[in-house]
Amino acid sequence: MTLTVQDLRVTFPLDGKMGLRAVDGVSFDLAPGTSLGIVGETGAGKTTIARALLGLHPPECVQGSIRLDGRELVGLSEEAWRAIRWRRIALVPQSVGTALNPVYRVGDQIAEPMRHHLGLSLAEAWGRSLEIARRVGLEPRHLRAYPHQLSGGEKQRALLAMALSCAPDVLILDEPTSGQDMLSRARLLDLLDALRREGGMGLLVISHDLAAVARLTEQVAVLYAGQLVEVGPTAEVFQDPRHPYTWGLLHAYPDMATARDLRGIRGTPPDPANPPPGCRFHPRCTQAIDRCRREEPPLREVGGRRVACHLGGLQTLLRAEGLRKTFSVNGGGPEEQVEAVRGATLDIREGEVVALVGETGSGKTTLGQMLVGLLPPDGGRVLLEGRDLTAAKGKERRAMMSRIQLVPQDPFDAVSPRLTVAEIVREPLDIQAIGTPEEREAKVRQALRTVGLPASPDFLARRAHELSGGQLQRVVLARALVLEPKLIVADEPVSMLDPSEQARVINLLKEIQTERGLALLLISHDLALVRKIADRILVMHQGQIVEEGPGSRVVTRPEHERTRMLLEVAPRLG
Amino acid sequence: MRGELWFGLILLALCGAVAGLAPVLAPYDPRAFSGQPLERPGPAHPLGTNDVGQDILSELIYGARVSLIVALAAGSGTVLLGLLVGGIAGYAGGWLDQALMRLVDGMMSLPRLPLLILFATFLGSGLPQTIAVISLLFWPTTARIIRAQVQSVRERGYVRMARQFGASPAYVFFRHVLPAIGPLVAYGLVTAAGNAVAMEAGLAFLGLGDPLAKSWGLMMRFALNLPGLFLTDRWLWWLLPPALCVTLLILALTFIGIGLEQNLNPRLVRRWR
Repeated sequence: MTLTVQDLRVTFPLDGKMGLRAVDGVSFDLAPGTSLGIVGETGAGKTTIARALLGLHPPECVQGSIRLDGRELVGLSEEAWRAIRWRRIALVPQSVGTALNPVYRVGDQIAEPMRHHLGLSLAEAWGRSLEIARRVGLEPRHLRAYPHQLSGGEKQRALLAMALSCAPDVLILDEPTSGQDMLSRARLLDLLDALRREGGMGLLVISHDLAAVARLTEQVAVLYAGQLVEVGPTAEVFQDPRHPYTWGLLHAYPDMATARDLRGIRGTPPDPANPPPGCRFHPRCTQAIDRCRREEPPLREVGGRRVACHLGGLQTLLRAEGLRKTFSVNGGGPEEQVEAVRGATLDIREGEVVALVGETGSGKTTLGQMLVGLLPPDGGRVLLEGRDLTAAKGKERRAMMSRIQLVPQDPFDAVSPRLTVAEIVREPLDIQAIGTPEEREAKVRQALRTVGLPASPDFLARRAHELSGGQLQRVVLARALVLEPKLIVADEPVSMLDPSEQARVINLLKEIQTERGLALLLISHDLALVRKIADRILVMHQGQIVEEGPGSRVVTRPEHERTRMLLEVAPRLG
Repeated sequence: MRGELWFGLILLALCGAVAGLAPVLAPYDPRAFSGQPLERPGPAHPLGTNDVGQDILSELIYGARVSLIVALAAGSGTVLLGLLVGGIAGYAGGWLDQALMRLVDGMMSLPRLPLLILFATFLGSGLPQTIAVISLLFWPTTARIIRAQVQSVRERGYVRMARQFGASPAYVFFRHVLPAIGPLVAYGLVTAAGNAVAMEAGLAFLGLGDPLAKSWGLMMRFALNLPGLFLTDRWLWWLLPPALCVTLLILALTFIGIGLEQNLNPRLVRRWR
């Protein structure tokens, strides 16, 4: 009973030509008793796949192969499809409201496919309907009712009963939970989960409800612009996404377990009539390289799952291995050695927001300065995109360092009191000799606008002492952005600002991070603040990283005693 | 700007104007024997003549040129050397800093005036030699001040950030360090200039100056060489005017220095009212 889909392509006519390719080369298998989820944003082509599996598209639109137990379904006549629908492949459609006929009783509608496809009599069909209704949690009185007399959840169950009536080999659930309140959604999920466990059927769940997919499926396929970008075991994919799109999708999903604010994926999905060349995700991808713009990446096996990415999935942007730094204090007399950082190891992935928290003196700032190359480490190394930053020299080092920028704590110390705003923001470009003077001016103005500052001649001519702390911190941020870095290390970027300005600057930082696809290492002592935006939290104590984990986990179930202490002292109102 | 600064600047400007307009202002060529030796002040010679019959007023006016040249050249020389040594020591740090600072300590521990006399004697008399000797002896003080300031500027956030952007030491020095220590350099320049004027006068007075460039110091020496100068009131128009001029020039530079220092360090400002 295995359903095998290979290189499925669905193209719709556009302006009289076959122009709009809604599904482009999708392949997957669905064995009996297994379940597969297909997730993706609206317009990715999920429902188009479902309809193709039921032969609901005009035959000329569908290419590729859909086989059920080896029998090719693509190209079948409408006659032949009718024998397959309901009996072999059944669909619970997305829009509950319009799927039921308002003038027939619900029980009749459940009985109808059985009479039609299995040739049962009305009495036999009603008998089986009652049985199926019980399975999906409907009572006999519901079957005698008309659709408008049922609630949304009950209608959903009725549709499910219809789909189950002919005992199909493959059950397709298209957005099974959409439009339902959380309680009926929970009951429905329980029901579907129970059905799945009964086995026998192959279950295909098409949804943007990631939690539902996580609950109902063993395997998941992530669909983007009509193509699969990642396929693997559901739990693993959701726990540790490999494709940048999967990662972004998961971060856009509201989840009770995290305190983080929602983050969208930058940009919008491509126009299916006019998809970008190369990898379709590259305009929104934070780690796109030249090759991504030219070549379409195939789905390739990467560590137990398949990922369509030239780089094999999310890249580690910055890696620090066993960094140490010792300062000798009291230079004149007997020297005392202070171990500020004692073997710190950390990873920052592309586009990720990592928070490094710890109390004053825990070595956070020292670690941050070693990461950006301001302080040479005494031991260990820093790898930027796999290349050793600590060993790099001259021009190479300069180029690498421009990819990591620091936003230090004290904006007043970070800019020269003698330079104007324009000169301050332009300085990195001047130093690296990038572009013509006009191009530099344009970049300066653009960076200032990005951080929400005016780019007027009057403002450009101001000096540090004429700006507020918040404005100056934005100027520093603009300066960090002109070199178009991949990573910003922000060391207590808002601790000198008043609370409302803190919120604005943090939100701005987050917005820029999402828009530009930067990775952000946020160094702070304030867990209450960083948990709002951090994907991962590292806790530092006495020069070592003592705890590391997803932001939600660290905040709700801290493992290290120091983390608990930091949480206890975090500000709380009431 | 503060009162001291204005006072000093006006005095200095006056001195500069006199030096610049010397050919217009001076009644005679200072080297010409324009009158009888040792004439008393009169309509022809407002300050009389010296022992060989040269006009003292003209000598005084032309002497301003010599003193100002020395002030400017020796002052700049001192500051440039100090800036070079102090800047390198402060910016580079480490062993180079240690070595240069020990050199500074050594030089500062030597008594300067005897050394000045010794150097001047060996190098011979001449304006360039005088300037060189003064510059070579007085840079260590400036170097120390500059080094301390460079050390503090070097650790400022914006300088570290510039290095993080990939700036070369030369860029950092000219873009950030030099502007930051600029006021200090200006202060160093005026104090070194004042010092140089005094030193030149002293050397000339001792007969170690350039006998051809007749500075105020040399005038005083010639005046004092006359046996029995103080027996008459002749010293009033021969010795006193150059002495006053030297004093005023040094005073002007000192006042400018004080004014700049107050700008550098607002805590030094006294209440005027």
